[in-house]
Amino acid sequence: MSIEAKIAGDIEVRTREELFINIQPIQVAGRLTPEAMKALIAYGDGYSVCDWCRKPFRLDCIKKPPIDKFHKEIAEFLGMDVARAVPGARRGFQAVANTLVEKGDTVVMSSLAHYTEFLAVEAAGGIVKEIPPNEKNIVTGEATAEKIEKVKAETGKLPKLIMIDHFDYSLGNEHDVYGIGKVAKEYDIPFLYNGAYTVGVMPVDGKKIGADFIVGSGHKSFASPAPSGILATTKEWAERVFRKSSMKGDLTGRVFEAKEVEMLGCTLMGANMIAMMASFPAIKERVKHWDEEIKKINYFLEEFLRIEGNKVVSEMPRKHTLTKVDTIESFHKIAKTHKRKGWFLSDELKKRKIVGMFFGATKTWKLNTYGLTWNQIEYLTKAFIEIAEKYNIPHTLAKKVEKERKL
Amino acid sequence: MMEKVVEKIFQSQFALVDLREILRKTKPVFNLSEEQKQQVVDIIKVVRESMDLVEKVLVK
Repeated sequence: MSIEAKIAGDIEVRTREELFINIQPIQVAGRLTPEAMKALIAYGDGYSVCDWCRKPFRLDCIKKPPIDKFHKEIAEFLGMDVARAVPGARRGFQAVANTLVEKGDTVVMSSLAHYTEFLAVEAAGGIVKEIPPNEKNIVTGEATAEKIEKVKAETGKLPKLIMIDHFDYSLGNEHDVYGIGKVAKEYDIPFLYNGAYTVGVMPVDGKKIGADFIVGSGHKSFASPAPSGILATTKEWAERVFRKSSMKGDLTGRVFEAKEVEMLGCTLMGANMIAMMASFPAIKERVKHWDEEIKKINYFLEEFLRIEGNKVVSEMPRKHTLTKVDTIESFHKIAKTHKRKGWFLSDELKKRKIVGMFFGATKTWKLNTYGLTWNQIEYLTKAFIEIAEKYNIPHTLAKKVEKERKL
Repeated sequence: MMEKVVEKIFQSQFALVDLREILRKTKPVFNLSEEQKQQVVDIIKVVRESMDLVEKVLVK
């Protein structure tokens, strides 16, 4: 049954989160809390957060609604001193790169880094040098030190910045951010910790990591609408990255001394700001249960691997819910002769009310189980087994083991 | 009185968001627990009572 309700014209109501199990790799931890949805209802009007904006006329200083308090609390939550809400993690990368990187400067980052990190450095005139992962697809402190030495030998200068994703977008593998934090300190190079896949789902302590900057994504991991994100830093770096305007108009003599240059004044306004704030109490609670999310993905994969030919490309056991799998020797074999080709798997999943895998993919593809209940995990598991059975792909039947979980 | 009408409209919308959340937690089979069923009953009550007041003030 299709939904006839329309928002306006041809804009359909989005119902995938109400009707389907969504395993889309980057959507799941950005699903809104009910509180964030209520924020969208009440604060959707353009300048809705500006009703009580008073001197110094800056978003992070607004007391009603308590945006100032949120900024202080989010910094504390991340083990940092100062934070700003930004319109997406990429704007956090951009602010840091613009501040630290000058034309021709080198920035080292993981070869599994997100493309927006590249673009942020490029926009600032810098040059990216990639740190290779080891044979397990993990970027280590040792490899980071080697790359720094290589850059130093080639250019005669140290890199200006180290940018590392704690968990990468491609495999969801955990990289050695603690080791890299130590290396950054040894070389005295600022370290940007990319927490797009961690801030909002698992505990993150910037001090413990040794990060100079933490960037998080609201729409990826903080149950917030897009675009939204967080940039947090230390007192020392805050003075530079959140530096205030010193420009004066030559005709008018106007100055904007309270405005932060990299933030272009106010950043994340309106409903997105309030939605982040509204989700924050639930976020503080849910990060305490990250281990349960890890149990769920590992349970799912344990069952998924009972299907002959299925493999997991990401590191095992999983430390993150975002996972890349390989079904070349199972579902892809069916796709080769199926009249719907690779689409058959998406079709079969959709019939079972499961969406979110890359349409038509049957070789290697990503999924994410974050936020599913145990009942939903069980349902998802059975769906794959059912599809395997339908197409005569052998599997070992799951033993019914009493697990410590709520069914 | 109009403050009350506006309050009830928001209360209804928020209650319906809570109803969406129950769907999100129970999809795709929607086997609701007894507690969730009671929540649905409570939500419907809030919406009905709110809309009764809105109707009374704005229409009747």
